[in-house]
Amino acid sequence: MTGFLKQLLSIRFKLLLLSLLLLVIPWLGYSYILEMEQYLSRGQEQTVLGTARALATALSERPELFNESSYSRAENSNELYVYPVFHSLAVDDKSLADWQDYRQYEQHFEASSLIPNPENPLSNIPGEEIFGDPLRFRLMLGEHNGYLFAYFRVLDDYVVLRSRDGLRVDRSDSLRLSLINRDGVFERYIIAPYDDEIIYPYRIGTDIRDFSSFEYESRITGEWRRIPQGYEIELRLPIEMVGNKLGLALYDVDDLDTRRVSAVIATSNIDNPVELGTLRRPTPEIDRIVAGMGHTNSRVQVVDRSQRVLLSVGDIQTASGLMLTEEEVGSGVVGWVEETILHPLYYQVLTRPTTEFVDELYQGGVLDSDHLILSLTGQASINYRTVNNNGNEGADGSTTRILEAAYPITADGQVLGAVIVDQNMNGIRTFRNQALETLFDTMLAILVFTMAALFLFATSLSGRIRGLRNQAEKIIDDAGRITNTIEPSRSADELGDLSRSFASIVDRLGQYTNYLENMSSRLSHELRTPVTVVRSSLENLELVTQDEQAQVYIKRAEEGITRLNLILTNMSEAARLEQILQSSEKERTDLTKVIDACVQNYQQIYPTLEFESKISLSPVRVVGNADYIVQLMDKVVANAVEFSNAGKPVRVACYEDNGEAVVSVANSGPYLDHDMKDRIFDSMVSVRPESKKKQPHLGMGLHIARMIAEFHHGYIYADNLLEEEGVIVVLRIPLTT
Amino acid sequence: MSKRIAIVEDEAAIRENYADVLRKQGYEVLTYPNRKKAEDAFVIRLPDLAIIDIGLEDEIDGGFTLCQSLRSQSETLPIIFLTARDNDFDTVSGLRMGADDYLTKDISLPHLTARIAALFRRQEAMDQPTSPDSLLERGDLLMDLSRLTVVWKQQTIELTVTEFWMLHALVKFPGHVKSRDALMQESKIYVDNSTITSHVKRMRKKFILSDSAFDQIDTVYGMGYRWNA
Repeated sequence: MTGFLKQLLSIRFKLLLLSLLLLVIPWLGYSYILEMEQYLSRGQEQTVLGTARALATALSERPELFNESSYSRAENSNELYVYPVFHSLAVDDKSLADWQDYRQYEQHFEASSLIPNPENPLSNIPGEEIFGDPLRFRLMLGEHNGYLFAYFRVLDDYVVLRSRDGLRVDRSDSLRLSLINRDGVFERYIIAPYDDEIIYPYRIGTDIRDFSSFEYESRITGEWRRIPQGYEIELRLPIEMVGNKLGLALYDVDDLDTRRVSAVIATSNIDNPVELGTLRRPTPEIDRIVAGMGHTNSRVQVVDRSQRVLLSVGDIQTASGLMLTEEEVGSGVVGWVEETILHPLYYQVLTRPTTEFVDELYQGGVLDSDHLILSLTGQASINYRTVNNNGNEGADGSTTRILEAAYPITADGQVLGAVIVDQNMNGIRTFRNQALETLFDTMLAILVFTMAALFLFATSLSGRIRGLRNQAEKIIDDAGRITNTIEPSRSADELGDLSRSFASIVDRLGQYTNYLENMSSRLSHELRTPVTVVRSSLENLELVTQDEQAQVYIKRAEEGITRLNLILTNMSEAARLEQILQSSEKERTDLTKVIDACVQNYQQIYPTLEFESKISLSPVRVVGNADYIVQLMDKVVANAVEFSNAGKPVRVACYEDNGEAVVSVANSGPYLDHDMKDRIFDSMVSVRPESKKKQPHLGMGLHIARMIAEFHHGYIYADNLLEEEGVIVVLRIPLTT
Repeated sequence: MSKRIAIVEDEAAIRENYADVLRKQGYEVLTYPNRKKAEDAFVIRLPDLAIIDIGLEDEIDGGFTLCQSLRSQSETLPIIFLTARDNDFDTVSGLRMGADDYLTKDISLPHLTARIAALFRRQEAMDQPTSPDSLLERGDLLMDLSRLTVVWKQQTIELTVTEFWMLHALVKFPGHVKSRDALMQESKIYVDNSTITSHVKRMRKKFILSDSAFDQIDTVYGMGYRWNA
């Protein structure tokens, strides 16, 4: 755990953390792109509004385009009004449900529309009910996608169907169509069903009674079906079949026996081409104007004052307002990573626009929205709508925003209608997404690269620092002696500087330490000459003078000189030993014999003390020099004796342990200070209390012991005893193999 | 005729102190502060004994050089190194140059004069027949106390005066352990234990050189040394 924490606190990870600040850049980019999206949508707003304005201006002051009468619920009975239908209609769905939105525009035809007919002499009398038959029908005409759609809802008490035995088609309830086609040819058609069925229309030739002149007309399709009050007919025919004249008539037969036509209700006189009703379709003029502006990648709608849609160009699903090219997917690994890892990740956050939305507002033929109403009062308006993306059930629940601009069309200060221009915001959304993808990809690459570079840099940096630290740690050994130098770095940066200054510090420190270490031997050497001068002078004086009193002082002075000499000798002992050790040879030695002999002798040398020895019975062989080992023992035992409490034994042990020869000397006595344990083996360190300082002590003894231990590739250390107050000094030397 | 002793020593006070003492002993003392002056004088006439310091003024090893040139002039001239340098390396070098003894400056004057006297006596004794009472015989070892010579298995072992006295102290009571302090006292030098050790080692080597089976000098660890009969 602490290791992990340490890892976290290392320079490498700090730098890595710092590099996370780079994440601000993609955030900035993101904000910038969002800003840009705002800006773009503002632009799109203006464009859309501009388009609407331009169109409205083009349509303004041309009230004829908005001829009210042609669009009103036709009172003028021989004119047929064709409503634009904005969704597809089924003619064979056995219901009129799909017409629902347009039902209100139905035209009513009843007895007043009865027209005289040679086959219907009674029809000349308006309002007369034959067999109490209140024949009437409702008609709806719509146009969608190049087809003319129509439905009839006919109220008829007695439905008489075509006889399956007879050839005559004019002896049953029938629907007749007359039209003048685009070539100016007058054509008539008849639909007379046998039953509820798909209609089977004929083109009537010269005589209605001559079946052989009939021709099946496949272009007209539809369905005939009975309803409780009468029947319904749905029709569909291509718009190019029809010019602009069309007449429709329902022939009603009520008497099953006579099968005579009892009533005819028609939209116009279908037998006379001149009297045929006019087909009122959305003004082609508007069409042309709008078509001229229709390539704006938006949906354009023109509505009249009563919010009826006169015209609709374009498709809101594809009206994105922008011409966008699909981004090419990169090839190779990069492309793969982009496609399978990054983009799915991005789209966790981003919403991908879809064209599979349904604009519910425009399902019908009448628009009803606030901004439209506002524009119909003469004000231009912009509106945003959000449309839920149906169709893709639960895919992402994303929404599509739709921008709509409405601009009033005026003439003589009166609002005639409005132009509505819609665009979905998918273009900008897609554009934004593409920009963000690119941004994220780029930033991710930069981020990864930068972080890798930073990581490498930090690694090399921390590696160098650690190298320096390791070097620095190795300079000084456990005992505080300078054993290594620092290799000065050649690099020119601050770390190189640090390394170089470290190296020079260590160098100087080494020189100083060396100076200190050699100080005692140098000092003793330097002092020797003056001491010799004093001593030889004193001795001369002693020979010369006969004065008793003078002799006393001379003796004292000589004693002092002798002590001084002893100090000098001790001081240089270590340096001398070091020189000797360099040229000394080692041989196989049995430590137990050496230690045993030593202990016996110590017993004689220190008769007042008791020595306990615990020496291994089997030989403990090391490569070494017995003389030096003895010298070491002398120093250690002298030390132990000096500190030993009276009456307590000094315990000496010698045995093998873990591949090493161990010699230990333990004595009861005062504990060592913790920080003195290592230092007592240093040169000129003495921890004797004042009371023990009977003779000069320079603290060289244990230093010499350590030199000898190291000469044997071993080590020596001191520790406090646990079982009693005392100190143990342990020497460990590798065994011979 | 009194013996002529040359002291080559750059430190005037020491030089004169030594000279005074020796003059009082009846020797004729010549003093030189550096190698050049000493060599110039020695070309004219050699002294009977030379006491040389190793470091002479500018020359760190001037004494060694002087010793070599003296030895080339006379095979038998007794030469004593008297120096502040007390390391083993210098001792060995000095003795290898053919010096008869190597003394550190902390030796007391009486000891110094005793040693000089011993060297003269040895030289004189060389020319005289051996008197039986000055002989000490221990098995294969024969020590002539007046001539300060040692013979081991009929072969002469060249020992310095210091070594001779050490050996004598050991041999006097064979089997008895002599501590380093005792050896120091006997050989009239005052050095530390490790110097004694190296003296003993050198002595052993000299014996082993003539007789590889020599193992009469025993180290008694922690105590000292002992002569095995």
